[in-house]
Amino acid sequence: MVTKEEVLNIAKLSKLYLTSEELEDAFNEMKGIVKFVNQVNEMQNPDEEINHANELFNAFREDEIVPSFPREKILENVEGGKEGFFYLEKSQ
Amino acid sequence: MKYELVVGLETHVELLTKTKIFCSCINGFGAEPNTHCCPICIGHPGTLPKLNKEVINLAVKAGLATNCHINLKSNMDRKNYVYPDLSKAYQISQYNIPICENGYIELSSGKRIRINRIHMEEDAGKLVHKGGDVYIDYNRGGVPLIEIVTEPDISSSGEAREYVEKLQSILRYVEVSDCKMQEGSMRCDINVSVKPVGSCKLGVRTEIKNMNSVTFMTKAIDYEFERQSDILENKGEVVQQTLRYCENSNSTESMREKEDAQDYRYFKDPDLVDIVLSEEDVNKLKKSLPELPDVRIKRYAEDFGVSKSDAELIVKYKNAADFFEKASKGLQSPKTVSNFIIGQIFRVIETESEREKFNILITPNQLNELVKLIEGNKINMNLAKKTFSRMLETGKSAADFISESDMQEISQSELEEICKEAIKSNSKAVNDYLGGKEKALKAILGNVMRQTKGRGNAQMIEEKLVNLLKNS
Ligand SMILES: [Zn+2]
Repeated sequence: MVTKEEVLNIAKLSKLYLTSEELEDAFNEMKGIVKFVNQVNEMQNPDEEINHANELFNAFREDEIVPSFPREKILENVEGGKEGFFYLEKSQ
Repeated sequence: MKYELVVGLETHVELLTKTKIFCSCINGFGAEPNTHCCPICIGHPGTLPKLNKEVINLAVKAGLATNCHINLKSNMDRKNYVYPDLSKAYQISQYNIPICENGYIELSSGKRIRINRIHMEEDAGKLVHKGGDVYIDYNRGGVPLIEIVTEPDISSSGEAREYVEKLQSILRYVEVSDCKMQEGSMRCDINVSVKPVGSCKLGVRTEIKNMNSVTFMTKAIDYEFERQSDILENKGEVVQQTLRYCENSNSTESMREKEDAQDYRYFKDPDLVDIVLSEEDVNKLKKSLPELPDVRIKRYAEDFGVSKSDAELIVKYKNAADFFEKASKGLQSPKTVSNFIIGQIFRVIETESEREKFNILITPNQLNELVKLIEGNKINMNLAKKTFSRMLETGKSAADFISESDMQEISQSELEEICKEAIKSNSKAVNDYLGGKEKALKAILGNVMRQTKGRGNAQMIEEKLVNLLKNS
């Protein structure tokens, strides 16, 4: 079970400030998610640890350089940033 | 009441890989902001991290070099927190199962500082604060780190210094990190508490974040020890909190506390699969390790006749140690070489970083030649030292300063002539000496040394003079 307080706490940790309607929606969604996960848990043999859907391990990369993105591209989503930086204005 | 200090250290070290931990951007210091970035390391949704194999190799090497147990199976976890230095709102780290556990570093006293764990994680971006605004550079975001966590075994700021310097030395030898504190590739968080001497119960601890200099770290520890002892002495209570050390005032101040207790909600990162190593992988890495500082110190003391403290001074800097070994080749007394390094080279290059680089003008072979001249009795120590100073200044060889005639071993008859001459021309000193002032001999000796231009052996000359004066 999940409580409203828990949802509020998670929102706070995520720096989300919810109105009471938004909290209601998030609470209902979260309840649904927890219910679904509990169903999955019921299907699982408790003696068997399942980490991933497949048996893959050691998916590694070689230590080889690939050119990075041009800075204009990197800063495209923040309107070009400021002086080459991402930029956060002082909050009032 | 008397109090004792209890310190544990968490040291973050950036790894010397070519690329970042989860993407193929360059891992490099000092570039233009946000030029080592791609959608993975700036945390765009829908991107997938892929672990750099070299990060595991270096983390395992660090563990082996610090006597850790290597966990053959481990994984990456997510540590959730919201702060602008981390664009994904989580840091990929290791939580339940770190790659290395239960190691130690031994101090020169023989005391072991236990290492609780070494785990791998990604570094965060760098925030630049200007007039209240924040500028963010993600070049450092995704740079591979290991965090080395000790048990609270450190009981003085001196031990803390020795531990950190030893850790630096080890990690440089095994080429895991350059450990440059001033560039941020090594940073320490310090946990400090005090307790009444002899008490088993640990006191309330404070954490001082992000020390980037060994000197400031020791000052911060000393300050915090005094502060906490004073509080307890006055029947107060130490508040558990995170502190910042202020270099200018040499004091600590509270960092603004987050409203909530930290709740990182760690969970296994579903984007990354388990890391499974074989015994063979670990053995291969073990075999690839170079000779470690402790082994070198022992070898220099046992095989080369260098004192343990001198060996420690040299071995601390890998380049100095390599220079020492090359310069000692074929010599009867490598100790003479270590004396030149500590007594003269270290006087020219004084700072830690200069000694680490060991950029000097002469080659090991040039020092080797000079010491051979001493061992062959061609020149005495006095002349050798003067010559070596000039060699260090100019990069020239001993032969450029010492002429052939200087190096001719002086004949007994020639030496006797010079001694007689010196006795004749220093009648005052001679009278003083004969009158019982033994020190007056030094003046005559100095005169002879000048005349022989450093060819004569001081002890031999002294004996000769004493004999001549006795029979005069
Ligand atoms: Zn990248």
